[in-house]
Amino acid sequence: MEEEDQQKILDLVKELVNRVLSRNPQNPKPSISSNPNSPDFQNSLRYAIRILSSRLTPSIAPDAAAIAESIKRGLATQGKSSQALNFAELYNKFASKTGPGSINNKWAVLYLLKIISEDTKVAQNAPNSTLLFPNLGLNELDLSNESRGSRNFKRGEKGYDNGVLLVSKDPENLREIAFREFVNLVKEENEVSEEVLVRDVLYACQGIDGKYVKFDANVDGYALSDLIKVPRATRVLVRKLCELGWLFRKVKGYISESMDRFPAEDVGTVGQAFCAALQDELSDYYKLLAVLETQAMNPIPLVSETASSGNYLSLRRLSVWFAEPIVKMRLMAVLVDKCRVLRGGAMAGAIHLHAQHGNPLVHEFMRSLLQRVCSPLFEMVRSWVLEGELEDIFSEFFVVGQPVKAESLWREGYRLHAGMLPSFISQPLAQRILRTGKSINFLRVCCDDRGWADAATEAAAAAGTTTRRGSLGYGETDALETLVVEAAKRIDKHLLDVMYTRYKFKEHCLAIKRYLLLGQGDFVQYLMDIVGQELSEPANTISSFQLAGLLESAIRSSNAQYDDPDILDRLRVKMMPHGTGDRGWDVFSLEYDARIPLDTVFTESVMARYLRIFNFLWKLRRVEHALIGAWKTMKPNCITSHSFTKLQHVVKLQLLSTLRRCQVLWNQMNHFVTNLQYYIMFEVLEVSWSNFSNEMEVARDLDDLLAAHDKYLRSIVEKSLLGERSLSLYKSLFALFDLILRFRSHADRLYEGIYDLQARTRASSLSSQDKKQSRRQTRDKSSEVGSWLIDGRKALEQRAGEFLQNTGQELEAISKEYTVLLEGFLSQLPVQQHVDLKFLFFRLHFTEFYSRLHPGT
Amino acid sequence: MFNIVKFVADMDSEAAKTARESLDLAFHMSNLLDTGLDRHTLSVLIALCDMGLNPEALAAVVKELRREPVSSSLQNSSAPIAKP
Repeated sequence: MEEEDQQKILDLVKELVNRVLSRNPQNPKPSISSNPNSPDFQNSLRYAIRILSSRLTPSIAPDAAAIAESIKRGLATQGKSSQALNFAELYNKFASKTGPGSINNKWAVLYLLKIISEDTKVAQNAPNSTLLFPNLGLNELDLSNESRGSRNFKRGEKGYDNGVLLVSKDPENLREIAFREFVNLVKEENEVSEEVLVRDVLYACQGIDGKYVKFDANVDGYALSDLIKVPRATRVLVRKLCELGWLFRKVKGYISESMDRFPAEDVGTVGQAFCAALQDELSDYYKLLAVLETQAMNPIPLVSETASSGNYLSLRRLSVWFAEPIVKMRLMAVLVDKCRVLRGGAMAGAIHLHAQHGNPLVHEFMRSLLQRVCSPLFEMVRSWVLEGELEDIFSEFFVVGQPVKAESLWREGYRLHAGMLPSFISQPLAQRILRTGKSINFLRVCCDDRGWADAATEAAAAAGTTTRRGSLGYGETDALETLVVEAAKRIDKHLLDVMYTRYKFKEHCLAIKRYLLLGQGDFVQYLMDIVGQELSEPANTISSFQLAGLLESAIRSSNAQYDDPDILDRLRVKMMPHGTGDRGWDVFSLEYDARIPLDTVFTESVMARYLRIFNFLWKLRRVEHALIGAWKTMKPNCITSHSFTKLQHVVKLQLLSTLRRCQVLWNQMNHFVTNLQYYIMFEVLEVSWSNFSNEMEVARDLDDLLAAHDKYLRSIVEKSLLGERSLSLYKSLFALFDLILRFRSHADRLYEGIYDLQARTRASSLSSQDKKQSRRQTRDKSSEVGSWLIDGRKALEQRAGEFLQNTGQELEAISKEYTVLLEGFLSQLPVQQHVDLKFLFFRLHFTEFYSRLHPGT
Repeated sequence: MFNIVKFVADMDSEAAKTARESLDLAFHMSNLLDTGLDRHTLSVLIALCDMGLNPEALAAVVKELRREPVSSSLQNSSAPIAKP
């Protein structure tokens, strides 16, 4: 078998030599040399056999694919890309030929082709150098042949094994020698070969200490040990590459730290998402490292003849490969640093700040990271907006709930946590999100309503398909906004519907206006009439039950009886805490029980403001009522006519002047009170109410409604002089009221005296005329009357004179005080900020009477 | 005369076909690479490769033989062919 093979090979070689020689373009006499018996042929054959029998082993591993790849690349770099493609195709076909009859040693064939092709190229290039000496012509070939031969011979003597074929027959050998020397130099300089360093760097980048590259705590990073002799450039390069390892350690450390902490402490869902996203990035990174490692193992067959074909990966190649991962890893490390103390929305916000980057690589990376990080947050928003659920066990959401009573649920139940609000959600949007969820909760807790679920589903449908669980993500802020807007619109509308129709918000507001703000005139008049007596008693003797009964009868006898019983049911009497000496007037007030859910609008503080307004209006009404009462006693004007004709002239004159003073003063007061009353009722209450109703119409959510109501109330308070700024005005107004009430009692006394006097004079005149008749009459009267009679006319007139004088003086004093107070009040009015108070001034001072009276002021 | 075609003549036609196609493909590649080998030479080379000869050495033979007719620089030793 062996023999046979040998023979076969020999035959084949003979054939080969024959073929090659016969086609040799340089052979001047091809026909002769192809003769198998010619000496040339024999020589060539011997030569060929010697070459073949040399122990030249292939310098590469038998890998057909790698060689094919190398050839292809070679073609491609020569600019023959179409040929490269052709070649790749051919190779694929060639490689697929298996089985009997196919070529076994495919790699050898390919390698052979490759080398021959390269040789031909070199041979084609080589004569170019000889063209430098064109005059030498063909002889030059012989010359060079000879010189080459002799050089080869010399080399052989120099100790090169003569069995080894040297590829150093052309001038390029010089380059190769230099190159080899350089390699040796490099080897001397480096104790460690580059392959080892590359491997170590790859290890370091996974956070593992290599053989030479180790983590150095002093410099806080991976570095080559100082003991190893490597050039400075390599050292720096290794240090640079190992930055990746340092960053990796940091990120990895954070992840494992967070994960270790997880069951014990609350890392938060956002934190967990962040860790997961980082973990994914790291596994991508691991993949890259694995690929690099296999490449580092695989030397690529680049050039066969140079000694330093080396490994595919050098440190420099690594630095190229690491360019992208290092950017990402750096980003991650920065984020890890930032987020170490942050959580929830704050964390997302912090990461978002880094996402604003011009580099598309960074931008894309951050986007995908944020998408993961924000998904729990967006999920929370979704369930909050559509279901009103606050699934936030780690308190990461920017809406914070706290347990409160139902009435303050709207105002205090939920609030925005500014720290947890990520910056990609704008403040108005956050407010809207807060309100929508709050509305749902309000409907659920306070209104006991289930209709919102339909509204939410509708909203989800309207916002499109993007509302499925977990489908909202970072970067889809628009989608989020649409969802929130849709949900807010529907839920708010539903809430207002419930408030208006089911809980009759408007009706209740109107009822409060009518009863607490005394808008229902007949009711107030009647109430004033019947409770007046009761309220004049000291406060501690009044029973509120009795007053409640009076209120009931006032309702029943006024138009209020036709009102909704539910509304009337809520109207109560309230006695305020009273001190000693307080009259019933001071403590009486009405109260309206708003109940859930309206107590969200009519909170205690709001009701307290209503109470203040009520007290003021009640006092105003009382003063008006008092003045009307005074008028009733003054009304019978017959006093002056004939009954006093018999009086002394002086007394009569006194009487007349006192009466007149009283009338004038009453008129002044009445003018003031009537106008004030008019102003309050029409300029203040009605105008504010009208504004409020308009705003109620356009209100889109409960907050609008609350704001409108608040504005309504505030405008009433301001305009009715109850505000902070008009405190002194308010005081002088109350002084005026008190004065008017005092006037009423004086006027009452005056008229009482006058009626008395009238009665006496009539009696005395009668007694002189018709004693019998009067005796019977006077017998029924009190003993005092008797004394009058006894004292006689003179004494009577004297007493009347004294009485009138006293009363006149008192009235005079009141009048003076009133004038002073009113002037003070009027002078303060124009100074007020509120423009409506100028109308009041105008109205009170229409004819400029007061300024003409006292031109000085 | 030894060539691949003859070599496979006694094999079944399937194998012959494969062999021919392989040779065709190799020849195409050889042309693409500008080796200057003709079909026959290539078939001889492939046969030698399949016999397990070192392709580098074969390449060297082709190169050397092409460059020059054997000169006197060669010494007259004829070692037996060793299979590498």
